[in-house]
Amino acid sequence: MTYPEFSKQAMAYAAEQGCAACELFYANGESFEVNANDGEIDRYSVSREAGVSVRVSLGGHEGYAYTEAIGDPERLVDHAMDNALCIDSEDEHPMQTKQAYRAITREDSALKDRSESDRIALAKQLEDLCLKQDPRVKRVVYCSVEYGAGSVVMENSLGLCAEKSSNSSVIYVMPSVQAGEEVQTGFAFRMGGDAADAEGCAKEAVEDALSKLGGSPVDSGCYRVLLKPYAMCDLLSAFASMFSADEAQKGCSLLAGKEGQLIANERVTLWDDPFNPVAPRAFDGEGTPCETKVVIQNGELKTLLHNLKTAKKAGLQSTGNASRRSAASTVGIAPSVFRLECGGATYDALLAELKDGLVISELEGLHAGVDAVSGDFSLKASGFLVENGAVVRPVSNITVAGNFVALLKHVFALGCDLRYSLPHSGCYASPSVLVNELTVAGC
Amino acid sequence: MLAEAQRSGADYAELFVEDTQSSRIEMIDGKVESANYARLCGAGVRVLLGTKSAYAYSADTSERALLETARAAAAALGEAKHAPNEAIFLAQTRHTTPVLLPFDQIGNADRVRVMREGARVMKAASSEVTQALVRYLDQVQRVTIVSTDGVFVSDERPRTRIFLQAVAMKNGEAQTGYDGPGCCRGFEAYRDVIDVERSAQVAADMAVTMLHAPECPAGYLPVVIDGGFGGVIFHEACGHSLEATAVGRNNSVFCGKLNTKIAADCVSAVDDGTFPGEWGSINVDDEGGAPKRNLLIENGILKGYLIDKLGSRRMDMPSTGSSRRQGYTYAPTSRMTNTFICAGTDDEEEMIASMGEGLYAKKMGGGSVNPPTGEFNFTVAEGYWVRNGKIVSPVRGATLIGKGSEVLQKIDRVGKTMWMAPGMCGSLSGTVPTNVGQPRLRVSGITIGGKGGAIE
Repeated sequence: MTYPEFSKQAMAYAAEQGCAACELFYANGESFEVNANDGEIDRYSVSREAGVSVRVSLGGHEGYAYTEAIGDPERLVDHAMDNALCIDSEDEHPMQTKQAYRAITREDSALKDRSESDRIALAKQLEDLCLKQDPRVKRVVYCSVEYGAGSVVMENSLGLCAEKSSNSSVIYVMPSVQAGEEVQTGFAFRMGGDAADAEGCAKEAVEDALSKLGGSPVDSGCYRVLLKPYAMCDLLSAFASMFSADEAQKGCSLLAGKEGQLIANERVTLWDDPFNPVAPRAFDGEGTPCETKVVIQNGELKTLLHNLKTAKKAGLQSTGNASRRSAASTVGIAPSVFRLECGGATYDALLAELKDGLVISELEGLHAGVDAVSGDFSLKASGFLVENGAVVRPVSNITVAGNFVALLKHVFALGCDLRYSLPHSGCYASPSVLVNELTVAGC
Repeated sequence: MLAEAQRSGADYAELFVEDTQSSRIEMIDGKVESANYARLCGAGVRVLLGTKSAYAYSADTSERALLETARAAAAALGEAKHAPNEAIFLAQTRHTTPVLLPFDQIGNADRVRVMREGARVMKAASSEVTQALVRYLDQVQRVTIVSTDGVFVSDERPRTRIFLQAVAMKNGEAQTGYDGPGCCRGFEAYRDVIDVERSAQVAADMAVTMLHAPECPAGYLPVVIDGGFGGVIFHEACGHSLEATAVGRNNSVFCGKLNTKIAADCVSAVDDGTFPGEWGSINVDDEGGAPKRNLLIENGILKGYLIDKLGSRRMDMPSTGSSRRQGYTYAPTSRMTNTFICAGTDDEEEMIASMGEGLYAKKMGGGSVNPPTGEFNFTVAEGYWVRNGKIVSPVRGATLIGKGSEVLQKIDRVGKTMWMAPGMCGSLSGTVPTNVGQPRLRVSGITIGGKGGAIE
């Protein structure tokens, strides 16, 4: 059965069964991944995927069902109806109607027109460049080249019709360096239009690993901290759900009801930036047209992120932040490109301003060490000790602990070195950020 | 299909076909918020030539698509060389998990009834519990694995888990407590094995206790880690470093350490996928091999690794029935099943009474580890500060950091009763259900992270 046939039958059957509305979300894609190890292809994977999700509105409730077996539309609709019937929540979740979208020009990512053998050669080159960079590079733990392309079609019985396609390229590498008994790893990636830059990627990863050699903990206590861009991106990503109106309405966000209030230092401005060239999009996971908006302006919370359900409940308009992590998942809320606005200071100027404290370049354990409800985090970290504005030595095996909301209030300078982190249910961008105090546990 | 996959000279080819159906329901404060059904279908073809491997998969399982997938896998190894070797003899084996109440014979009403019970208990536990979240999952994964080794097995893998989370709030502060029992059985699990009310009480008590807990102080001190989910520390800091994915590529601190001492004498550890109905158990591994009880550490001496087929080629050691994958979108690799530190001989109360000042980690949270260095970090979801051998206060926000190889040497007490708890483990071959476990044990010193001052 072709997808258009499936879709037509599903829509007709849902209407016949008394569903007030029916929506289909179809995604298909292909992906390619190759890892190099010791000059050989190590892990190699190619794929083709396709799946369709149906969402029905029945008796004022919505139910979902997803399948990768495109063959029995009636059974899928039955599952969705069955699910709609067990919902108790009174929240209305409207579907989007026909919309006009802004035209998006998205540049092809770097590996789109590369042949398979080119991509394999790139992986081997990336590993080789790391090994040649420095005699202390003993091995490359991971070395990966990935390319993916996909398209999404959304349509519903209210007239919505939205289609998009995109492709992505990313390379990343983790070399391991050794000096005496000590082993350290480094990491770097390149994505989008820069994904063929094996040289830059290898150089950055090896420098990252070497810079950690000789690291040791610092004494426990409170420190002034300079968070480097990727570390701050990781925190933004880990606490993005605080900005979700859904979490707020469920009582699971400290930002609930704080619109219009100062929640951060006046130097902090945070954008939700859907047309950013790094991942531009015309519409969100419900087909609502996207818009660029300021989420925190000079410390003041201007808006939470909404989809159609939370907007209806709050008596507002959707902000175009409906998310669908995959066709199989239900509609949620996520930022598009969450970008902390740069300040004017160079990295060196920030170091001088830090004077005495710590540079935190890397945070680990983000899937476990953060509590998005309380805002608390306690994470393994590494970086550098700074005395009198100069880096003195690497620091490892420490934890930094704090609260995300408190941290936003304690920001006292931002750099001009904006970086985009690897996309992870949304894209995140931040410059280096100077923070008044974080608690550090060393030994 | 296997012949097609071997056209470029692969010495091994394997087909994995999957059809998985799952139901997920989420409930907040006793009201069902969302319900989702998903059916994942697809197939993957893997080929090996020596230690080279390639994997191709497709959501389309038609004959034409499977042949194309097989060709794509073959092409990754190089040009077509020769027709494959001799005929393959396949003898089919079927596995099933004994189930009394299959998930396709119950309705959402049955699922919701169990969930409501959990929500009710959490809400009733304390007026400070402001939100009760219940997530329910059941799933049946049906797989068929065929390989040029003559493997032809099919397996049916039912699994269910209920996750209960209570949020307690006071003066703008929020703390969460949770419990998430799960097992490989049918819906009868909620009658026979899983006590939803008890788990709900555990979740609520934890949230309320933590709400009134001061921040944990930082320092390097003794830590007593409780049984059950406390085993996550061994899982993350040692288990992953014993997998062939790390050992076979020389990315593990335990490379070349077989039959040498890597842990204190009181430490023995096992990975055992054969327990009937346990969350991490498997009837057959994802290369069609039989699961085993694999002795990893015996009285501090390293005795074994967890090895899949590719790892077995890299390490020149036999496979241990440890090959697992999330589903057809992942090539299989060496993974854990039910992994635990074995029961010891020490008294559970004495180890706290004699510890002086330190932390009693009653419930561990999640964590992660960097396998090449063995450095790990874990959160302590429910912790208590101990002074002069007595528990003086609950503490929140604690983290434990260190090196797996060092912590293993510093275990100085191992309790008499081992128990396990379920988790989801993410690695190269996706996310698979695993049990972690241990008795209550003590580490003589470990770095505790936290932002609190001294506990009065």
